[in-house]
Amino acid sequence: MNTNLNAFVVADPNKCIGCKVCEVACSVAHTDKETLTVGMIDTPVIGKLYLVKTAAVTMPVQCRHCEDAPCAQVCQEGAIIQTNGKIIINEEECIGCKTCLMACPFGAIDIVPVYKNGEAVTQTGLMVETKDGLVEKGLAVASKCDLCAERAGGPACVSACPEKALELVVPKQEKKRRNINAALNLLDSVKKFIG
Amino acid sequence: MSEEIVSVTAAEAACLIKIDEELCTGCRRCAAVCPVDAIEGEKGQPQTIRQDRCVICGQCVQICSAYASIFDEDIAPREQKMAERGLLPSVKEPLFAAYNRGDAGKVKAALADSQLVTMVQCAPAVRVAIAEEFGLPFGSLTPGQMAAALRRVGFKRVYDTNFTADLTIMEEGSELIQRVTEGGTLPMFTSCCPAWVKYVEQDYPELIPHLSSCKSPQQMAGALFKTYGAKVDGIGAERVFSVSVMPCTCKKFECDRPEMADSGYRDVDVVITTRELAQLIKDAGIDFANLPEEEFDKPLGTYSGAGTIFGVTGGVMEAALRTGYELITNEAIPELSIDFVRGGEGVRKASVQVGDLTLKVAVVSGLKNVKTVMEQVKAGKADFHFLEVMTCPVGCVSGGGQPKVVLPADKPTAYTNRTANTYRHDENLPVRKSHDNQDVQNLYKAFLGEPLGHESHHLLHTKYTARK
Repeated sequence: MNTNLNAFVVADPNKCIGCKVCEVACSVAHTDKETLTVGMIDTPVIGKLYLVKTAAVTMPVQCRHCEDAPCAQVCQEGAIIQTNGKIIINEEECIGCKTCLMACPFGAIDIVPVYKNGEAVTQTGLMVETKDGLVEKGLAVASKCDLCAERAGGPACVSACPEKALELVVPKQEKKRRNINAALNLLDSVKKFIG
Repeated sequence: MSEEIVSVTAAEAACLIKIDEELCTGCRRCAAVCPVDAIEGEKGQPQTIRQDRCVICGQCVQICSAYASIFDEDIAPREQKMAERGLLPSVKEPLFAAYNRGDAGKVKAALADSQLVTMVQCAPAVRVAIAEEFGLPFGSLTPGQMAAALRRVGFKRVYDTNFTADLTIMEEGSELIQRVTEGGTLPMFTSCCPAWVKYVEQDYPELIPHLSSCKSPQQMAGALFKTYGAKVDGIGAERVFSVSVMPCTCKKFECDRPEMADSGYRDVDVVITTRELAQLIKDAGIDFANLPEEEFDKPLGTYSGAGTIFGVTGGVMEAALRTGYELITNEAIPELSIDFVRGGEGVRKASVQVGDLTLKVAVVSGLKNVKTVMEQVKAGKADFHFLEVMTCPVGCVSGGGQPKVVLPADKPTAYTNRTANTYRHDENLPVRKSHDNQDVQNLYKAFLGEPLGHESHHLLHTKYTARK
């Protein structure tokens, strides 16, 4: 039985300055062409983590890769599965029904437009009324953090953050580290009054 | 050379760099890189730029990552923001909070005006970065394709700032020798970086006499386009539309300085950045990456390796030494690549034995690093003859108008590659010293006379303005 828990990226609200480099880095990491400079970006910046900026808190939030992922459980198309310790949305199967968006308690899922070769993909079978008449509706699918499954070097947001506010948490390792620290701290306190 | 006391209003600075308060998240990374502490605001609140302090270096524009999201319904539509920023409607790239005024539209209109004879110059730093906007690796060296693109976009004369970089060395080298031998104001400061010049004018106006009276290569070229350039083409100067492509946002300020009109007209009509040129090229549907390599036009477009290294910190110094050494000793400098003036951000000092003279030089890059040096000069304790200052981290290749690197981790690579390819370009050029540029020699013979002569003084030298 595999007891490994899914890793996930989490932000430290004490370090986050709200600069949005993480959102930009995420967006370019998931674009089909290489965009080393801003001039090369020809589609909207769409990240899979979302900066929350209120009077009380500034930090990005993103998918937790839940062990009992509600998004996967409600998806009618079976488009969300766990592979290699990551909860992944299969965009090809997604119909944009938004059930997953409603199921996620973190708001980690958004429905976003799809771009290919610099152009928005449209749907020939769905027309939408606009002030310019009927036009093909743009294709939109569910999107969320995929832990940069296809990126050498792992999550782009973690690498990009100038304040090192984002961390990839590997739960089993983190728990072990904390257990050891707790034990060491207890040992130190006991030494103080027994010698 | 006299100074005039003039107070600068925000209008005069023309608000060349602004922060869009709808987009700014108050992260203050811009404030951290601003060399003159011109950015103010609470953490987490939109920031504002003090236009009287701003030297328009554009480092804030380069670092800003607060982009306009398509999902944000509380901000003005993209089309409106693009119009406010002076961007061509065909531009697709994301918009960020900190931005510079766009002028590509003015260039596009001039190119379409059959009455105008458009002449263009590009800075040395543009040719090692423009290709990045077309998907090529950081620092790709593409001067030939750059010239080809400029022609296809419609410029009638594709001249080059590197030509006047060589010319600047002739004038500034002679000026330095004159100051050293005749007891002029020393140390002499370079004057080609307009943000540095503005900084001296506003923070150390008493040190203005130390600035070389030479104009920057950009402004020398502009003055020549509308005099010698017009003459060579047999056209009236009023028909010349002079454009400059720069890695720099402050050059837009420099070209609008009231005194930059020695030709009788605005010597440089419009400055666009490297990014804006790429946008113009894309707007014209030109496939940059597949262009053939072409040459620059004569007589104002040829250059030596010394001219092209102006784009990196230490480059002006090295170019000046290659020529100054020979002017003084009548012998060629033994080693052309003067490694000890090369380097990264910071302050570098060196001495060079030039005949009987031990010439002491200092090179500063990153304007924040110049303050201690200025205090030394002010206290009369400067132990060097010649000072090169570049505002931007590693010189113009890291300028505020260069292709904006998306990921912070890539910046060092971009800067390193642009710098390395600048030196590689120099090493592979047939002519490596400014005084060996035959077209520069011809310009003196046919038009200017001699360095620091009457015509040079009229067209190629300038005055500064105290701004305290």
